[in-house]
Amino acid sequence: MPKRRDILAIVLIVLPWTLLITVWHQNAIAPLLAIRKACHHLVRDFFIIPERLAIHRHRLADDGADGHREAGAGAAGDSKEYCSPDKDIVEVVRTEYVYTRPPPWSDVLPTIHVITPTYSRPVQKAELTRLANTFLHVANLHWILVEDSQRRTPLVARLLRETGLNYTHLNVETPRNYKLRGDTRDPRIPRGTMQRNLALRWLRETFSANSSQPGIVYFADDDNTYSLELFEEMRSTRKVSVWPVAFVGGLRYESPKVNAAGKVYGWKTVFDPHRPFAIDMAGFAINLRLVLLKPQAYFKLRGVKGGYQESSLLRDLVTLNDLEPKAANCTKILVWHTRTEKPVLVNEGKKGFTDPNVEI
Amino acid sequence: MRLKLKLKTVFVLYFMVSLLGLVYALMQLGQRCDCTEHDIIKDRTISRLRGDLHKLQEEAKRSDPTKAPKKTNLPPIYVITPTYARLVQKAELTRLSQTFLHVPQLHWIVVEDSDQPTALVRNLLAESGLAYTQLHILTPKERKLQEGDPSWLKPRGAEQRNEGLRWLREMASTSRGQQGAAADSGVVYFADDDNTYSVKLFDEMRDTRGVSVWPVGLVGGMRFESPVVDGGKVIRFHTGWRPNRPFPIDMASFAVSLHLVVTNPDAVFDGDAQMGFLESSFLQSIITMEELEPKADMCTKVLVWHTRTEKPKMKREDALHKQGLGSDPNVEV
Repeated sequence: MPKRRDILAIVLIVLPWTLLITVWHQNAIAPLLAIRKACHHLVRDFFIIPERLAIHRHRLADDGADGHREAGAGAAGDSKEYCSPDKDIVEVVRTEYVYTRPPPWSDVLPTIHVITPTYSRPVQKAELTRLANTFLHVANLHWILVEDSQRRTPLVARLLRETGLNYTHLNVETPRNYKLRGDTRDPRIPRGTMQRNLALRWLRETFSANSSQPGIVYFADDDNTYSLELFEEMRSTRKVSVWPVAFVGGLRYESPKVNAAGKVYGWKTVFDPHRPFAIDMAGFAINLRLVLLKPQAYFKLRGVKGGYQESSLLRDLVTLNDLEPKAANCTKILVWHTRTEKPVLVNEGKKGFTDPNVEI
Repeated sequence: MRLKLKLKTVFVLYFMVSLLGLVYALMQLGQRCDCTEHDIIKDRTISRLRGDLHKLQEEAKRSDPTKAPKKTNLPPIYVITPTYARLVQKAELTRLSQTFLHVPQLHWIVVEDSDQPTALVRNLLAESGLAYTQLHILTPKERKLQEGDPSWLKPRGAEQRNEGLRWLREMASTSRGQQGAAADSGVVYFADDDNTYSVKLFDEMRDTRGVSVWPVGLVGGMRFESPVVDGGKVIRFHTGWRPNRPFPIDMASFAVSLHLVVTNPDAVFDGDAQMGFLESSFLQSIITMEELEPKADMCTKVLVWHTRTEKPKMKREDALHKQGLGSDPNVEV
């Protein structure tokens, strides 16, 4: 029969340890431990989403999904999970949308530097207007607009100023002989090359490789169509990320081939799938650090075969193995290579029918 | 010499050590943990995020004191967009929705040229974040453009726009019972899915009382078409093509107040109208030129462009399709 004294002894031994264990779990140390496991336990996305909703917070139990659907009417918006590779905790925020102003700048999100070459033609202002309307929804976007002109035009300068976007306005004129079509002696360089190279050079002069400012570089032509999800997909690029593009190469879409391990091993295209990078300009994004680390990487100006322009830059930056597939392992279309028809201005006649002072 | 190690002593020692340990742990509770640098960075990130969050909330609240009250008083803009399935449809509707998200109190009425609402449009609208209504009506065969017809041969979208008008009239009459005459506040605008709209345009049209008009770029074979304004009134129209039409203006160049739409229940678009007369077929029954309200700085600024999107070349896709190797149709483009 256990003696009372023995029981007392056992209780006295066990008591401190039970106290310790129970208190240990409940106190503030526990959240700190959980932080290390971050994205698995507490996934709370931090995002300013352009929504017409009242401010409130969302806390998700993580099951990997992105279901930020509101119960209210038609209010899902561009909600997505932002789980950086460092497994930060982030928090979903839906704020009341401030119309025609870009989302407030965040000190934490990597900046997306969008390089857009442009040139004067009747649809230019329309294209840039609707592009600006798209970019105004993207947080931390820096628009680098490079005109193919001798001087920066007032039309573009005014447009950029009025959008309220964070922008840089550059210009470089492509020499005339480069622009001529079909002249075999002076072969045409692909349109926009000099402008994109100027933007790359500007980035290299403005940012230093050892600064910790994270950034992503994306080449966006002014007539394509971009979904807002695309910009969030590219924000987590570590080296070079890729995704499918619609309406290129004479197909519904071109896409990288991704194997079961999530690595790119080829290109699903008909036009020359054996190019080093059989991808359209709108189908990839580069981490700014990589651009700064390889200061010699530019688009090749001359002697570039059709369709090889992207390869001329990417082969100096990355190998096929390092590519990061986005858009659900390259199964979703988030960017469309639309082209705008050239408007037929027959009724203008030789002298011009409309008032030239009215800007279109 | 053997120490007399009594069991009792052992227990007492053990007990003391445990107690001291517990006390020590409890003291540690309030203190910062001795984390690795990795965790400290995370802590900093988290507190920075929280700081950012509060800053943004403050900014949003601060910068919107003027807009917030205005928002509830703004008359809604009902945008009627006829659309039809083709390759570029999703892209067009996507970038259109990105523009509309900037306009407060906008209700998008998308009318599909089909006998069923499609999943593509339904999902796009649901994810857009806009207030919307999805309608559908099939254009009768004889009015449809055939393959190879030039785009101007038959007026397009008439049935769809009429369906939008029908829905609006129905909606207005049901809510009139509840709200009285106030239910008619609002402006109706016909926006095709391939045009380009600046956000300022919607500010201009918001206070339309009857029918307001403004210039449109890249239309009628010219840089822009425009009403000509003198003394605050429209006196004629600057257009390069058949200026003798009752209203030689493009669909994108005018907006109608909801009140006018409701009080003229028989005003519809005539699907059999001659080329270029579609707008007139609707407007001539509800307004005269003298009553038009000129906008966009007395019709001197271009805030909307009649852009058209090229049909993407699919010759490789077609060739593959013949071989049975076409791209995955489950991937929505």
